Amino acid sequence: MRNKRTFLFAGLVLALALVFGMSTGAMAANIKIGVAAPYTGNLASYGDNIKAGVSLKLQEINDAGGINGQKVELVWGDDLCQPKDAGTVGAKFAADKSIVAVIGHLCSSATLAAMPIYVRNGMPTISPTSTNPTIGDVGKGWFFRNCYTDDFQGKYLASYVVPKLLGKNKVAIFYENNDYAIGLKDSFVAGAQESGVTVTGAEAYMTGTTDFTPQLTKLMADKPEAIFLCGYHPEGALIAGQGRKLGFDGPLFGADGIDNVDYINIAGKAAENTYCTVPFLAQSAGPAGQDFAVRFKKSAGRDVDWMSANAYDCLGILAQVIGKVGPDRKKIRDGLAAINSEATGYKGVTGLTYFDEKGNCSKPAFVKLVKGGEFVAAE
Amino acid sequence: MFLQQLVNGLTIGGIYAMIAVGYTMIYGVIQLINFAHGEIYMLGAFFAFTFISFLGLPFYAAFLLSMACCAVCGMLLDIFAYRPLRQSPRLAALITAIGMSIFLQNLAMVIWGSRPKPFPQGALPAYFEETAVTFSGVSLSWFHLFIFAITLMMMIGLNLIIQKTRWGKAMRAVAQNKTMAALTGINVNRVISYTFALAGSLGGAAGIMVGAYYNSLYPTMGYIAGVKAFAAAVLGGIGSVPGAMLGGVVLGVAEALGAGYLSSLYRDGISYAVMIIVIILIPAGLFGKLIKETKKSM
Repeated sequence: MRNKRTFLFAGLVLALALVFGMSTGAMAANIKIGVAAPYTGNLASYGDNIKAGVSLKLQEINDAGGINGQKVELVWGDDLCQPKDAGTVGAKFAADKSIVAVIGHLCSSATLAAMPIYVRNGMPTISPTSTNPTIGDVGKGWFFRNCYTDDFQGKYLASYVVPKLLGKNKVAIFYENNDYAIGLKDSFVAGAQESGVTVTGAEAYMTGTTDFTPQLTKLMADKPEAIFLCGYHPEGALIAGQGRKLGFDGPLFGADGIDNVDYINIAGKAAENTYCTVPFLAQSAGPAGQDFAVRFKKSAGRDVDWMSANAYDCLGILAQVIGKVGPDRKKIRDGLAAINSEATGYKGVTGLTYFDEKGNCSKPAFVKLVKGGEFVAAE
Repeated sequence: MFLQQLVNGLTIGGIYAMIAVGYTMIYGVIQLINFAHGEIYMLGAFFAFTFISFLGLPFYAAFLLSMACCAVCGMLLDIFAYRPLRQSPRLAALITAIGMSIFLQNLAMVIWGSRPKPFPQGALPAYFEETAVTFSGVSLSWFHLFIFAITLMMMIGLNLIIQKTRWGKAMRAVAQNKTMAALTGINVNRVISYTFALAGSLGGAAGIMVGAYYNSLYPTMGYIAGVKAFAAAVLGGIGSVPGAMLGGVVLGVAEALGAGYLSSLYRDGISYAVMIIVIILIPAGLFGKLIKETKKSM
């Protein structure tokens, strides 16, 4: 017994020495950037997108010799899109003094939970995907994003997509009970009032729900012409499938949360005739975007999605700023805040990005549609 | 709309009932709340998915085979996790059950990945989607009827096993008094294993039906279903098999009607509220017997 214990202890010491030896060895030269997204859990496919996007940029930066000779290293933080796990990841990143900036988080609820920690610890954060409008206020100058906000997206859906593109004016809403979906729903409802679109009913659901038939039955009693899938793709796909089973054959539409191949994989035939708005669409992008789509397909083996493109640009923006001001949290924040006009804007694959005083940027929205089992540009 | 909501409620209620029966049987026999039961249900769905997509088995064969696998999983769960703790305080076994639940969830995540998966729809018999009966605006597909029929058949079968067979008799004996049962020559451990197998196969069947009907499998799907079914078992009176069946159906219908007529956001809340109200009014549950706690068990 005693021998066994000594042996175990020796093993533990050895393992610790190995781990520390390795990490300190790597720390000396590299610039570390945290990347927070859900890499496991229901929304793991979003995390895959982020990983594919930043990894491609990382390779390009390091192949070109890094930033001023220093290699860049990414630290992954899995937040499962859950506020509580986002807090843990945030605290971990903030405590690690070698991490100079964070890309993330992905879901708005996760970003809202982690942001106060980053503000307290002075950590510059740039999110490729969090669209909830209130994050800018919580970020107190430390938050930036290169996607549009739901204020814009919801109104765009209500004023353009539904009445003009789909030609419908009676809509039922299904929204998830989280910051992203509630913000989006509110701005859609506000926009719908202005454009004369009638909202026949709005039903909420909890993340992870699988049975939507009671809500669908209730909503469909009012005979809506289109259903708004206001949430993320796993539940959206189930609503689509169950809605079609209950006999709904009109168009479905959603926002950036629906844009994922898994939506089509899960919903199958029911996914047909689903529209969604995205901040980046390879088919509608400029030459830089087209070129990126080709490179992305080569490295990731699949078609590019908007999250990967935005994440790719996030790392690009950070690399440019760090190249100018050096790897220091405060200086990086100031550098990001200085990107505040068209002239100073970052020209990336998703177009020109520059931030207002809340870290928001204005980007156009594009519309995608599921046709023949894949996403195609709607216009 | 009311009828349609009733159909929605009965569909999910029948499935809750099948899982709840597993909780209640195991509780009846060894006074353990098997929190890993929801994970057996999840495994059932994933086994069927694997048999269909990778071995190319037809749906019905995959259904039976996964039920058998879940029965084995239930037995293994008992042998490795609970049997060594049979003589320890109940709390230890309870914590182990929670641990097994987390372990199995993560094991499934490692094996099948954490992304939600669609059930291979092509494997389902084609007539499942067709409408079987229509009455006053509500149409039932053959799939609905299949779920109702399987639920009913399994419930009746289970009652027959418990009431009419030697194993059922042995199970009831062990539930009443383990020591006395052992003295009359019953192999208590084997009876417990069989109970786990029975509970596991029912849970697995429920998992397959949910996976196929709602068309989504993911490693954490057992958690919510498990909690709901546990609530159903408590509602019916934990330890009582007919109670768990009724509890499941009541909970499913309450949930569907609550979501349909009150607020869909509080849909889970409504079903739990129903449970709490019943427990306050009838502390032993609908069919439970109130037993005085005679010895300190924790």
